[in-house]
Amino acid sequence: MTSARLYRTLADYLGLGMVLIAMIAFFALKTDYFFTLTTFRTIANQIPDAVIIATGMTFVLIIAGIDLSVGSVLALGGATLGLALTGWGWPIYLAVPLCIIVGLCCGAVNGIMVAGWRLPAFIVTLGMLEAARGGAYLVTGSKTQYIGSSVEWINTWGAMGLSLPFLLALLVVITGQFILSYTIFGRSMFAIGGNEEAARLSGIPVAHIKTAVYTLCGGLAALAAVIHCSRLTAADPNAGIGYELQAIAAVVIGGTSLMGGRGAVINTFIGVIIIAVLENGLVQMGAQEPIKRLVTGAVIIIAVILDYYRHRV
Amino acid sequence: MSFRDVAGDTGMHKINFPVFAVLLSVLVFGCGGNEKKESDDEPPAPDKLRIALIMKSLANEFFLTMEEGARAHNAESSDAYTLFAEGIKDELDVNRQIQLVEQMMNRRVNAIVIAPADSKALIPVCQRAIKAGIVVVNIDNKFDAEVLAERGAQIPFVGPDNRKGAYLAGAYLAEHLAEGAPVAIIEGVPSAFNAIQRKQGFEDAMNEAGMRIVASQTADWEMARANRVASAIITEQPELKAMLCANDSMALGAVAALRAAGRLEQVHVVGFDNISAAQELLKKGELLATVDQHADQLAVFGIEYALEMLKTGRAPSDHETPVDLITAAAAP
Repeated sequence: MTSARLYRTLADYLGLGMVLIAMIAFFALKTDYFFTLTTFRTIANQIPDAVIIATGMTFVLIIAGIDLSVGSVLALGGATLGLALTGWGWPIYLAVPLCIIVGLCCGAVNGIMVAGWRLPAFIVTLGMLEAARGGAYLVTGSKTQYIGSSVEWINTWGAMGLSLPFLLALLVVITGQFILSYTIFGRSMFAIGGNEEAARLSGIPVAHIKTAVYTLCGGLAALAAVIHCSRLTAADPNAGIGYELQAIAAVVIGGTSLMGGRGAVINTFIGVIIIAVLENGLVQMGAQEPIKRLVTGAVIIIAVILDYYRHRV
Repeated sequence: MSFRDVAGDTGMHKINFPVFAVLLSVLVFGCGGNEKKESDDEPPAPDKLRIALIMKSLANEFFLTMEEGARAHNAESSDAYTLFAEGIKDELDVNRQIQLVEQMMNRRVNAIVIAPADSKALIPVCQRAIKAGIVVVNIDNKFDAEVLAERGAQIPFVGPDNRKGAYLAGAYLAEHLAEGAPVAIIEGVPSAFNAIQRKQGFEDAMNEAGMRIVASQTADWEMARANRVASAIITEQPELKAMLCANDSMALGAVAALRAAGRLEQVHVVGFDNISAAQELLKKGELLATVDQHADQLAVFGIEYALEMLKTGRAPSDHETPVDLITAAAAP
């Protein structure tokens, strides 16, 4: 059984990897400078926040939930970070934990409402999408806050040519995949996503695990906020609008089922890379906005169709 | 209540509705209370003029500044007029804005100063307001000239020439470039009038100075989006010498991209709007110039023009407000 599962996971990676390689090859032929180290370094510099958010989203989708609030929570976390650093003059080692705590709290509220009160996740997190955005506007006074060098170092510091955010994102992906594959928590998530009632009857603490997953997702969104702010050296109250849909797209491209019970963080990681390669490649080709949107939409749909057939056999 | 419907449809049970109702009402009335200014419900003195200011999203720094300016102006001359300021939640919520105009008509205001969310869709309702004897002044986003002409409507536009502003920034940038230098434009939302104007202004200046525009892409006014787009452009254009961004948020994103790529020294960036965060970059020399269209005065110009029209009854005509180039040297 283990070897069969391993084989299928491997097949998944290969399928996605081939799509990625095909895209890179296409852009390499079509543009002058796509196939360069700079492009890949640029992409590596851009995706960490998306990767971290998408990891949280993978967990949520695996338990057959959804979290629409991640973009707003990112903005609220970033706003809090900005306020703590510039407004209150807090040092970074206090401001970052505060930011993460804000994210965890938002996630916990989502989780408690969804798991404890058994409200539909779509509505609850839609509410949080509005509320957290409002919070971000309040905290920043609706103005972009320039933060400056106190967060800049996070983005410039690195090892082996890879930036700290990228290493952090890798760490999140590896840890996330480890949790999914090798811990009771991870297996319980699959069980809940597959059949919640059966999971409950077999003694899995469903409500606790669901709450934990939403809390984690909020916390990861806040971690992404730290990276987002360090890259832009500013806290933007309008940051992260539409990130929830981008994250869902990346997760689904990676083959995680919207119906729950199936998914992998590593595939999500590749999903994020596919979207980033697509965006960079299209800009480097000089494609105009309507074409970019058409192509991006088509890629998402094709990926889902492929995934559907792969799992039907 | 829709919450109940939704919960019912999905077969939810055991929901504590009373608790929810209380929560919901706190939310709804709590928010409503904050938005309302005390002046809204007071019946104003009969001789006092009533002016409505209808803006786009108040979550946007630009409109917030605009509203603050209008309120300050109103406070200074509060015996001259009463101000009703309203905004919509989402910049593109055209429907809500039409409702706002209708509500203001019901409130019997003397004048409506409006920054329309859509340059065409708001014209009919404004025309109805004019027919009802209300003076309508258009600010910020200019009404579509063709539709105005077709419907025979005359609504004066009071505001800055975005094309001229962008041209100023572009011309200043050109002084820092060698002729024929490759440059890129980061555009705003492609359908927005001011985005188109700014793009044209940049193009005018670049073409006149003989620069090569090698890329022109939209980033939807957004910082993070501009960051990604700019990163891709500078990778594809190793010789790039300048980026002209249609607003400061996008300029911030572009500067961050250049910093990450270590190319800040080689590529000049100009922006538009003069937001506070951009002033920091001007001081550091990472942003070459931006354009101030006096956001805090934009609504005030409109209000003053409306007051003048009410007083003198003069025929409506467009009125241009100043745009100023802000460079590192001129930053406060």
